[in-house]
Amino acid sequence: MVTLSFLLLGFILIAVQTTFFYQFPHWLGRPDLVFILLVFSAYRFRWFSGLVLAFLLGWLMDVTSGVYLGTYLLLVLLVFSIVKFLSQNSSVKETVFQIPLVGVSYFVVQCLFYLFFTLTQPGALPPWSWARVVQETLILLVASIPCFVFFNWLFEKLTTRRLASRKLKRGGANRFR
Amino acid sequence: MRKKTNDRKKKSRSRVPRLFLLFLLFSGLLLIILSSATGSRFGVFHQLTLEVLGPLQSTFTKLSLSTVRLKDRYITLWNLQEENDSLRKELETYHALLDQYREAYSRNRFLETELQFKKQETFPALMARVVGKDPSFWFQTLIVDRGENDGVVTGMVARNSLGVVGQVVQVSDNYCKILLANAPSSAIDAIVQKSRVRGILKGAGEQGYILQYVLKNGEVAEGDIIVTAGIGGVFPPGITLGTVSKVHSKRRGMFLEIEVKPAVDFARLESLFINLSEEQLVIEEMSHSPSSQGE
Repeated sequence: MVTLSFLLLGFILIAVQTTFFYQFPHWLGRPDLVFILLVFSAYRFRWFSGLVLAFLLGWLMDVTSGVYLGTYLLLVLLVFSIVKFLSQNSSVKETVFQIPLVGVSYFVVQCLFYLFFTLTQPGALPPWSWARVVQETLILLVASIPCFVFFNWLFEKLTTRRLASRKLKRGGANRFR
Repeated sequence: MRKKTNDRKKKSRSRVPRLFLLFLLFSGLLLIILSSATGSRFGVFHQLTLEVLGPLQSTFTKLSLSTVRLKDRYITLWNLQEENDSLRKELETYHALLDQYREAYSRNRFLETELQFKKQETFPALMARVVGKDPSFWFQTLIVDRGENDGVVTGMVARNSLGVVGQVVQVSDNYCKILLANAPSSAIDAIVQKSRVRGILKGAGEQGYILQYVLKNGEVAEGDIIVTAGIGGVFPPGITLGTVSKVHSKRRGMFLEIEVKPAVDFARLESLFINLSEEQLVIEEMSHSPSSQGE
């Protein structure tokens, strides 16, 4: 249920990103909301459900962006695995590090993405621009704060509801009989 | 008896000043009446009276006037507030209406241009609406609301009245993805319309195009129009691609570096035409490709 809800959210975010954001002025940027959702899922979801969600988000990105199918899928799974591993095995899991890690991971992903295309499809991407990548990273960092608050709220809401329904199911029998 | 006479004396003494006062008043009144009767001019007393009364009147008039004004203003303000509110609402409604009319007007003009283009062009054009743009800043693609059900096949060319938009790269039943002509992976055979100098127009992302492989002795100047060369059969010749914005001639190398500003505003693209006449050509090309031959 939680994974499905977040997948639905991913759908909405990608629709917003590909339509509404293009009405904004260029300097305001178009933060990659799906990437923020991906990092969030790495923090909060379990391995299996998180990987399923990441896979589907990558699939969505492949459909809406770029020409070479499978690139986003691969990238998204890689990012999820690395962030999940880091959040489980280091102090990164602390809330203080979560937002900066979104920025760092986004920046690294852009570098890897560009490197990957430079090696496999030379000339497929426009020239590398430090200013543009840094600007997009900063915009993403700013956008990730409200996004994380909202995702967290939704996650808590969904998980508590699920727990409550489970308790109700368990507690159906009369224990005092 | 003596007492009575004494009382009478006292009474007569007190009457004297009263009578004198009465006389004075009477004579004063007489004087006023007389002076009034002498002419229409103000006498001294009239003037004096008026001089005393005037400022008082003036003060009271000012006071009353300001009170009336204050009252009027307050009431007017009260009414004005309501009027202002209603006018504001009216203004907002008219602004919204004006926006709608402006939008309708510009849309109408745009559609008129597109319709004219469709009428002029000989190819069977399928109009498609842009429904989404690439979320990544690395790629230049669009998603439009036409797909296989409308006869769209991968490889078809997308155009609008201003020039070449791009090429269909991925298709689903009702939607397709178009790789814009300014994508770095796109390359079109082009010529400079004026001097007929040939080159390859490469996409440069948000910077537009770069015309490559034009020799240094080629006649290219800023403002020259670049059109499709028509080699390869994908694009018919003479379709506008853009205008030369800068020409760099570096010391090293044989070729010029020419920046071209696209004729199509890719950022504000709302609709486009897909050239359906190329369906047969594209299918033939696909069937002649080595992978399909192997099958």
